[in-house]
Amino acid sequence: MLELCDVYKTFHPGTVNEKKALCGLNLRLGPGEFVTVIGGNGAGKSTLLNAVAGVWPVDAGRVRIGGRDVTGLPEYRRAAFIGRVFQDPMLGTAPDMQIGENLALAARRGQKRGLRRGLTRAERGEYRDRLAALGLGLEDRMTVRAGLLSGGQRQALTLLMAALRKPELLLLDEHTAALDPRTAALVLALTDRLIAENGLTALMITHNLRDAIAHGTRLIMMQEGRIILDLAGEEKRRLTADDLLRRFSAAAGEPFDSDRALLADD
Amino acid sequence: MGFAEYLSSLDPQALLQRLPGYAAQGVLWGVMALGVYITFRLLDLADLTVDGTFATGGACTVMLILAGWPAWAALTAAVAAGLLAGLVTGLLHTRLGIPAILAGILTQFALYSVNLRIMGMTANKSVSVDQYPLLLSSRQIPRAALIGVLLAAALTALLCWYFGTEQGSALRATGSNPAMSRAQGVNIDAMKVLGLMLSNGAVALSGGLTAQYQGFADVNMGRGAIVIGLAAVVIGEVLCAALFRRGAPFAVRLLFVAAGGVAYYLVVGLVLWLRLNTNDLKLFTAVIVALFLAVPQLQARRKSSFRAADRKEAQPRA
Amino acid sequence: MKKLCCILLALALALPLCACGRSQSSASGAEAGAQTAPASASGAASQSASAGKSYVIGICQLVQHAALDAATKGFKDAVTAALGDAVTFEENNAGGDSASCATICSGFVSDGVDLILANATPSLQAAAAATDSIPVLGTAITEYGVALGLTDFSGTVGTNVSGTSDLAPLDQQAAMFAELLPDAKTVGILYCSAEPNSVYQADEVQKALEQSGVTVKIYTFADSNDVSSVTATACGECDALYIPTDNTAASCAETINNVALPAGVPIIAGEEGICKGCGIATLSIDYYELGRTTGEMAVRILRDGAKVSEMPVEYYADPVREYNADLCRQLNITVPDGYTAIAD
Repeated sequence: MLELCDVYKTFHPGTVNEKKALCGLNLRLGPGEFVTVIGGNGAGKSTLLNAVAGVWPVDAGRVRIGGRDVTGLPEYRRAAFIGRVFQDPMLGTAPDMQIGENLALAARRGQKRGLRRGLTRAERGEYRDRLAALGLGLEDRMTVRAGLLSGGQRQALTLLMAALRKPELLLLDEHTAALDPRTAALVLALTDRLIAENGLTALMITHNLRDAIAHGTRLIMMQEGRIILDLAGEEKRRLTADDLLRRFSAAAGEPFDSDRALLADD
Repeated sequence: MGFAEYLSSLDPQALLQRLPGYAAQGVLWGVMALGVYITFRLLDLADLTVDGTFATGGACTVMLILAGWPAWAALTAAVAAGLLAGLVTGLLHTRLGIPAILAGILTQFALYSVNLRIMGMTANKSVSVDQYPLLLSSRQIPRAALIGVLLAAALTALLCWYFGTEQGSALRATGSNPAMSRAQGVNIDAMKVLGLMLSNGAVALSGGLTAQYQGFADVNMGRGAIVIGLAAVVIGEVLCAALFRRGAPFAVRLLFVAAGGVAYYLVVGLVLWLRLNTNDLKLFTAVIVALFLAVPQLQARRKSSFRAADRKEAQPRA
Repeated sequence: MKKLCCILLALALALPLCACGRSQSSASGAEAGAQTAPASASGAASQSASAGKSYVIGICQLVQHAALDAATKGFKDAVTAALGDAVTFEENNAGGDSASCATICSGFVSDGVDLILANATPSLQAAAAATDSIPVLGTAITEYGVALGLTDFSGTVGTNVSGTSDLAPLDQQAAMFAELLPDAKTVGILYCSAEPNSVYQADEVQKALEQSGVTVKIYTFADSNDVSSVTATACGECDALYIPTDNTAASCAETINNVALPAGVPIIAGEEGICKGCGIATLSIDYYELGRTTGEMAVRILRDGAKVSEMPVEYYADPVREYNADLCRQLNITVPDGYTAIAD
């Protein structure tokens, strides 16, 4: 479903701040795979997601989604195949528009937006049901501006929007990092449910080692723009956090030094 | 003369009689305020093109009417010219990466020369209501006011409908959260250009109407238009928020924006009626508008402020 | 607070729709496209011309400016001298904003003033648009035909508009070049592109100069910001400059002088104010006297019942040739007889 071939990306080339974010990255995701991505700060996790989403063009390599080559497409054109949830809960929804309008916007992702009604009555009914399934009481507040919701509610809404039209690929960029533990757990549970119900292919970045192990069918660890660990199936299921740390040191030749990953516990 | 004399010389009845004229002019500027609202509030862009586009609308309308076109056709052409001006600013901003404010200023500069050329290299062209069939004129204020209100209402309805469509929603989303809009497949650049075009089209319409109302188009008639437009938008929003605490529907908000133009001109009229030194007209208008806008802020402060909290803490609990 | 806002909003939205006001313009009732007969204009004029009545005159001045101020003062002095306490003036200044002219004039019309003095072109246009029955006298207007868009202007406007013109004979002004600066082969004409009167004067002076064999180049500036650079370009390419009665140039005369004097380029100005600042000579119109003439026309309309539609536009009778002694000395210009020095 997703294929990254030999992808390179360097930021600020030729200057003092030059950063080789992705170095010849290769990654293949089959349909239905739920991959968690972990790594230290500056490992290139977010860069990987941005390269897939098309936030900027890559320096070299090809990106394919669902078999089609999207390397030359800008972000808004790739959005037809991708659902995205950002780390910042404020980034995922339009604060000045109503919840219903936000969902309507997401429903038309990838389609040509014409002069038909932006939010029809039939749609409203569908969105009520979908919001009710979230269990957050949002279905009764569909005309409320998204900006008035709490971070967790906005993130849940963003998740729903991302999964609304069964995207070919779901990109989750540390989407629980800014939430309190209880809400984070709720959002993660929701993530699992949506992915399972819709059979989505997903790529999830997380700083929490336990979450990385507990969720998903495959785990990838990155460092300095490369994938240094790739575990799936039974191997992944039997992992513990300590295992992971040991494997990291072995693969990278140095201890895993992301404080957040080490200190997070829930 | 003494203060008492001055007070007694003010005639409230005269003010009331003048109000329809001020309101008629104000509602034409309300049309402009609707245009400014699109870029300033919905797209979150500061578009300074409007100073030039206003005069472009006036110049096109007057020249076409002088050439024998019917007034409504001339206005349509003026709107088209406004769309073009917005397109230029939009392309400068999105294709050439020039910041929106500067792109607007550049277009406005260029439009000065363009407007001069449209008017045949003269700075001022008059169009007399006695010789040409104008849509509205200061000669007949009630009719002018009616037409202004009808056009403002029609534009409000059109904008309401448009911003409820898929495309319109995408435009609003672009202004509200560009990152999210991109991720939802919205072409941000195209939306910005579209918004700028719509805005400047409305401003050109307002310019065309004003030129007919005052009987002439002048190359400098748009000077300071953005300030009036922004003042009208903010006044309208303050009034709307004061009356509808829980948020008003979009249509009502737009109507208030147009009413903000009327309110601004009423303030100008008040200052003229008070016979204050007219060299200070702009200063007094600014002061009154500022007072207007400060009222909700001051009210809120009266209810809850740091000083108040500090004082309360000092009192011993009984 | 809420109630107050409700009332204000209702007022704001309802006022445009209420057809109140005893303004004479709404009383005329005709469709906007109809031809208004001059009869209604003269009819209104004769109504207000009865002895022992008090009059209200609305004065709309475009911008604060020495020449315009002098014209207004002359007008008021002449009218007060003839009518004394019977007349009150409502003076308004549009602050250079042509849209304000429309606001001011519509205010006068709804007040029902007896006469409107329109000082400068946009004021005249706004007044003419706002009323077809109240007499409108213009002053400091150069060309009425151009200002009102009249195709065959023969000297009398024919509607409720008349007034005085500040147009000095342009051919005489052009002749001053031959008198004072016989060696000037290339003359530049400098004016503000936003001033409607300046183009007309520039064209006429250009024709006259070219007839006497001088090459003429045109230089325009958009506003006071580009005056210096445009003047510098002009001084580099020309032997002498001409500036018509341009309001913007008048307010930037010092700036122009700072560029032209060091460059040694003499300037002939269209009016005294500009000449004082940067010119060597001018064919001067006394704006105060122009205002007085307008005032006398107003008295004839109000007191004596003259019909404004039959009054031709009056031009200034005796322009005076003046020279700026200081600048002439600095630029080594010999001034022939027939010129008066400008008093400071």
